[in-house]
Amino acid sequence: MTPDLRVTLSRLQLRNPVMVAAGTFGYGLEYHHLLDLTQLGAIVTKSLTLAPRMGNPPPRVAETPAGMLNAIGLQNDGVDAFLMETLPRLREYGTAIIASVAGETLEEYMQVAEKLSRAEGIAALELNLSCPNQARGGIEFGINPELTAHAVSLVRQASDLPLIAKLSPNTGDIVPIAQAAVQAGADSLCLINTVLGVAVDAETRQFRIASKVGGLSGPAIKPIAQYHLWRVRQALPETPLIGVGGISNAADAIEFLLLGAHAIQVGTANYVQPTLALEILQGIEEYLTTHGFESVESIRGTVS
Amino acid sequence: MRRYELPAVVVEHQRRGKNLYELILHAPPIAQSATPGQFVMLRPVRTHAPLWRRPYSILRANPDKGVFSVLYSVQSAFTELLSMKPIGSTVQTLGPLGSSFQPVRSARRHILVAGGVGAPPLCFFASRLAPILQAGEHLLILAGARRADLLVGLDEFRALGAVVQIATDDGSQGYKGYVTDLLQDALEDPIESAVYACGPNRMLRVVAQQCLARGVPCQVSLDAPMPCGIGVCLGCAVKVNIPGSGVWYKRACIEGPVFRAEEVVWE
Repeated sequence: MTPDLRVTLSRLQLRNPVMVAAGTFGYGLEYHHLLDLTQLGAIVTKSLTLAPRMGNPPPRVAETPAGMLNAIGLQNDGVDAFLMETLPRLREYGTAIIASVAGETLEEYMQVAEKLSRAEGIAALELNLSCPNQARGGIEFGINPELTAHAVSLVRQASDLPLIAKLSPNTGDIVPIAQAAVQAGADSLCLINTVLGVAVDAETRQFRIASKVGGLSGPAIKPIAQYHLWRVRQALPETPLIGVGGISNAADAIEFLLLGAHAIQVGTANYVQPTLALEILQGIEEYLTTHGFESVESIRGTVS
Repeated sequence: MRRYELPAVVVEHQRRGKNLYELILHAPPIAQSATPGQFVMLRPVRTHAPLWRRPYSILRANPDKGVFSVLYSVQSAFTELLSMKPIGSTVQTLGPLGSSFQPVRSARRHILVAGGVGAPPLCFFASRLAPILQAGEHLLILAGARRADLLVGLDEFRALGAVVQIATDDGSQGYKGYVTDLLQDALEDPIESAVYACGPNRMLRVVAQQCLARGVPCQVSLDAPMPCGIGVCLGCAVKVNIPGSGVWYKRACIEGPVFRAEEVVWE
């Protein structure tokens, strides 16, 4: 018997739990002849801002042990270009499209969310809370409960779409932030975003990325992501959670499900193997079949 | 343009110099569609460290035999893994990727400036350009490297009937000094020329300035750290001038690696 792969995250229903993470899959179309986009649970777009953003000066990326640092600086064509040029082509695939919302001000988050909610074919919004907050000297919105709640509640007012808050790990305790996001109206939570780090080139005695500090992603951060997911699962047993951070194969993804994730996102690994998300989906299905589980939901949170 | 994600079969590791090997891979769709200047992303083994694939410019492509090749030297954990791939095993390959060198049809003299390991895409370009040259057109190769044993592709260039001039930093072969000195001399000749260059970015900056100063059309192949190769990560940003709207970042993996020199903001 084929296991049931469908998952329900509050108001968001997906055909399977495998998504591709924001910023690692472009706007989806870049991958269209490398893998069958119609098989994915959802595509999360690159973060969208109100106006086009040029991004940071290079070098923007550096490989680190089992990971990479990036400081792209939210380079994107802006929400209007996405709505006019990309979305009409992307929605033809029929796959759930989750738009990642970014901004440097609360006003910007709201305006982007408003524009996206008026468009046809967007299944949910994912709020990128790891953006630099202009009014607070560039610190991430997601590092304290009050800022997180403020951003979530304003976007909640601006849009009726299911709202996913993507949490930053760059904070002392993630639980109060998760609670604040849910109380402010987030339907579900996605965790984690990248972990702050630096990398140095000993030969040139320079930082390896121009903006010095970057976000660490890749297999190196998987235990950190799993820790945060597990803690939030315990604190908020009813909230749908999406696990992301270092997933590189089906076993990694299944671990997140066992820790309590409803769905998972493949991120940095898309760069290394463009077909990986579908390989992971197949691996999850095989795992469920082999172990005699009827559905993906039946293994959720069953780690002991 | 179609790109392929496939397991390419290792045909041979051919020694091409001191710690320099040509990896010949069998992958007909890539061999048949690749154009000079394009590259492939290679992943010899599934490992977490090294994590990224690495971009390699295509050195040669034989559509009839379905093979293409890249050049590598063993100098990192990645290239060590690549060097250990046995004949008949496969290397996960994504390609062909990126933009190509475009022959400037008004030029009588095509100057290819190759800096060290920047030679491979120019070898490929020369092999496709030589057969279509008209009477009165010719190829001039300016090849530079730190030492004589780091020069690449000289025999191939000569076999194509190209004039080859050499510069080495230590004078171990040819002119002692930079390849850009040779270019400066060559550009004194007023014959209608076009320049195509690949090498370290600091060499390319000088080449671009020399050409721009004389109004000589110039194409450069730029190197940048490149996690994905298909335009999604925006890691390989190159600052360019966009006529009418200032500067912006383009991607070395999609709009590049070959750019027109006047397009690039040289910093």
